[in-house]
Amino acid sequence: MSDLPEYILDRVFDAPREMVWRAWTDPEMLARWYGPGVETIIHKFDLEPGGTWLNEMKWGDNSMLSKAVFTEVTPPERLVWHHHSSTDADWNSVPNPKMPDWPRILLTTVTFTEEGAGTKVRLSWAPFEASDAEIACFEGAVANMGKGWESGYAIIDEILAELQA
Amino acid sequence: MEQIGYTGSQQNLDAVFAALSDPTRREILERLAQGNASVNEIAAPFKMSQPAISKHLKVLERAGLIERDIDKQRRPARLKADNLAVAVEWLHEFKAFWGASFDALDNVLIEMKQATENAKTKE
Repeated sequence: MSDLPEYILDRVFDAPREMVWRAWTDPEMLARWYGPGVETIIHKFDLEPGGTWLNEMKWGDNSMLSKAVFTEVTPPERLVWHHHSSTDADWNSVPNPKMPDWPRILLTTVTFTEEGAGTKVRLSWAPFEASDAEIACFEGAVANMGKGWESGYAIIDEILAELQA
Repeated sequence: MEQIGYTGSQQNLDAVFAALSDPTRREILERLAQGNASVNEIAAPFKMSQPAISKHLKVLERAGLIERDIDKQRRPARLKADNLAVAVEWLHEFKAFWGASFDALDNVLIEMKQATENAKTKE
């Protein structure tokens, strides 16, 4: 089935591809940018198919654990992993505490393409081995984030303006 | 079953996203953002039967995105903004995560480039 909802984010970085690849795959570099405004601690980073990236994000007294299991590592072009967006203290996948139907596993594909002197990074998220409820939840979220619903944002702006009034 | 407190509102959020995944339902919300409307008024622009629209309204009602007047014959539907606002907040956080992370990545790359330049000049 290829009609699973997908979240895609493109960005061009002003750096050569090898360097962008390193920023994503050297845990020391990765910890410096992944997770804005929080302290990112990488407990394990085993960059090979089947290897895991155990990640902790800390802010104040809060801590959020997630786990990635790499399925494809093709330097400097392509990085694919199963993203378990919430885990317990033993790194077992658990439902997202904020949103129980959020997909437990997101198939995450990051591609690195040379574009002039820069590098285009495409991040794609799609539900993996997901239940119907998980797919619907993700689809709803993506539909709202995607390009197709500018008018939706307009409604929300209107509503937020009303709420603040 | 009516739930209260944290759990209840979180489950609602799931229902909100499921409800929003359908384009017809999003259009209905847009319509209602402009003012309350009866099923007939909502159904008018769609090539859809009134029962089909009623079904969509039920989904939106269960998700807590609209409420309907029980007493009156017309049963006009009204948009309930708070649940939508919670959903928007979640989306905002999600988008902000990657957006802000990528901004930080930009800075890391600038530093990496400078480090490479510095190493070259030393050679």
